[in-house]
Amino acid sequence: MELRAFAPGIYPRSEALVQATRDLDRGRTTAQAVEGQAASDVRDLVSVQKKAGLALLSDGMLEWQDVFRPLADRSEGLDARPLTRFLDTNTFYRAVLVEGEPSLREPIPAPGLPAGRWLRTLPSPLAFSRATNGAASPEALAANVLAAQVEADLEAGCALVVLYEPFLASEDVAELAAAISKLPDGPYALQLPFLGAAPLLEPLAELPVDAIGVDFYRTSLDAVPKGYPKEIMAGVVDARSSALEDPDKLARFVQELAERVAGGVSVTPNGDLQFVSEPIARQKVANLGRVQATMEEAVA
Amino acid sequence: MSPVRFLTQEIGSLGKPSWRVKTFAGRPLEDSDVEAARSWGSRLGVEDHEELVELLSSGQVGEGDLPDIDDWAARYAIRLLEQVGLDVVYDGEQKRTEMYDHVAAFAGGFEPRGIVRSFDNKYYAKAAVVESPSVSGPQDVEEYEFVRSHTNRVVKVPLTGAYTMEDWSYDEHYGHEGGLGASAEHRYEARRRFVHDVAANVIRPNVEGLVAAGAEWIQIDEPAATTKPDEVPLVVQGFNEATRGVAAKKSMHICFSDYGALWPAVLELDDCLELQLEFANRDSRELGTRDEDRPGYADTLALFKEHGYPNVGLGVLDIHSDFVEPAELVRDRILYAVDVLGDPARIQVNPDCGLRTRSWEVVYEKLSNMVEGTRLAEDAL
Repeated sequence: MELRAFAPGIYPRSEALVQATRDLDRGRTTAQAVEGQAASDVRDLVSVQKKAGLALLSDGMLEWQDVFRPLADRSEGLDARPLTRFLDTNTFYRAVLVEGEPSLREPIPAPGLPAGRWLRTLPSPLAFSRATNGAASPEALAANVLAAQVEADLEAGCALVVLYEPFLASEDVAELAAAISKLPDGPYALQLPFLGAAPLLEPLAELPVDAIGVDFYRTSLDAVPKGYPKEIMAGVVDARSSALEDPDKLARFVQELAERVAGGVSVTPNGDLQFVSEPIARQKVANLGRVQATMEEAVA
Repeated sequence: MSPVRFLTQEIGSLGKPSWRVKTFAGRPLEDSDVEAARSWGSRLGVEDHEELVELLSSGQVGEGDLPDIDDWAARYAIRLLEQVGLDVVYDGEQKRTEMYDHVAAFAGGFEPRGIVRSFDNKYYAKAAVVESPSVSGPQDVEEYEFVRSHTNRVVKVPLTGAYTMEDWSYDEHYGHEGGLGASAEHRYEARRRFVHDVAANVIRPNVEGLVAAGAEWIQIDEPAATTKPDEVPLVVQGFNEATRGVAAKKSMHICFSDYGALWPAVLELDDCLELQLEFANRDSRELGTRDEDRPGYADTLALFKEHGYPNVGLGVLDIHSDFVEPAELVRDRILYAVDVLGDPARIQVNPDCGLRTRSWEVVYEKLSNMVEGTRLAEDAL
């Protein structure tokens, strides 16, 4: 079967880049030096993804402090400030204060990756709204901030926009759908990182996106309705575990999933790989590639 | 003199002096580092600090000197906490790396797995549990005895709690197998066993050793307590397992958490003197003692009032800001808490958390104002 593997979300920085940012904070190095190290990290990451044979490439969002910050920083009316715990992790993001009508001043530049082969991860409009504690609506953020970013990305050759949605509850689906309708035509995937997706899959079947990302460390296989019409972006590599998964076991799980759904399957981590250190993340990316290769071999 | 007397206490970590950081990192000292040792030593009245200044000035600090440097850092921290007027002190955790790594590096069963972002450019070392954790003996007795021998104040020993150790670790032992597609019950049971083993086999031996050495107060730090609200009972089980039956005061520190998730589970804490919580971070900086003046305190204090147990260690200093809380603001926060709880005996006063991210200059000013504000509150009562 044809199956795409890729790694959306924020990738961990190398220890060298972490040290460079620490040094910059303490006035011991220059912004230029940090940019140089970041560029080197991106090159390494792209090389790891290519070597693994991933279908879509990511720049790892290495300069993103959290999934909301760059958009808030580049928008009028938004200011990222209070530290807020991200789900049940020991990692924090800065909640976004709304001080006026949000509007994207300037899109985040496209990464220097081959057109048609790269993906962009953005906060879903609903998650973005939750990060403002509801002070800005999902529709307003979709129309006035995210839409311009997506448009710029698609023009620059983005092959998939992954909407990152860690806060979704089933009663929010209609509001999310209304907000997504304010975005330009996709393709889109909605990823539910570190969430139990069982109660969400039925309501999400009609959402105007092409794929749903499911964390299978929080969701059992049985929770996926038989004949599910959308592609399932199967989160089978655990981004919150240091243990390396067995690619053969993952492939068997994915095969079982593929037989269950009608819309196809792709393979990803269950959330950002930034929750493990970079050397571990690198091996997990390699394992994604092995799962993809195993599935391709099975077809051949 | 007011008949009301609030105990003032620190919570845990202070930043390490630059001369301590650089000597341990093998980096050259600058004149400003030596001057900091001299000026703070003089200001705090650290006995014989000239010996340290001489050592640092010599340019000959070797690996063999590092234990002495550690001792000096602890002495400086103790004197700082004493001089600002705290009733309860420790050593600012000068001899520890940080609260998680201090335990994970000592106990068997953990292996390092690199660094993970906390926020922005701040990262922490994270380990994986690879077998049931254990220790060969108590970890912090020597550290406690050093502090005890260098102060006449009440000494409170901060220890990282079992639940936080579990929550901040990767699990390559208890729940790893069968994780893909596993049930919530499977995950919970794995975490319960992990917490129990850390509490019983890592924290408890330390607590018993400390109490046998004379420690009169153990503070269990559980910043992860409400990370997974349905697991707060595990926090309680970990505390009880680690401290049950020991003849010492016991308390728990929690911060930057959803305190609403703590009750009713914390009613099952055995003999817990108080919960020392962070409040100031979420409060207004304006003066006043009405509900609307104290948004960071109202909801949580209502829970203490409603349930009547445990008592509260009232966080009155925001540890993430250089803003120095005026004594009058500290006073109003305390008076508001007294008004809500209706009983000053249920309150002790502390910063929100350890002040390790602030400079000593800022720490000195903040803690001095905390003590002054406490006295103002006592006078007002």
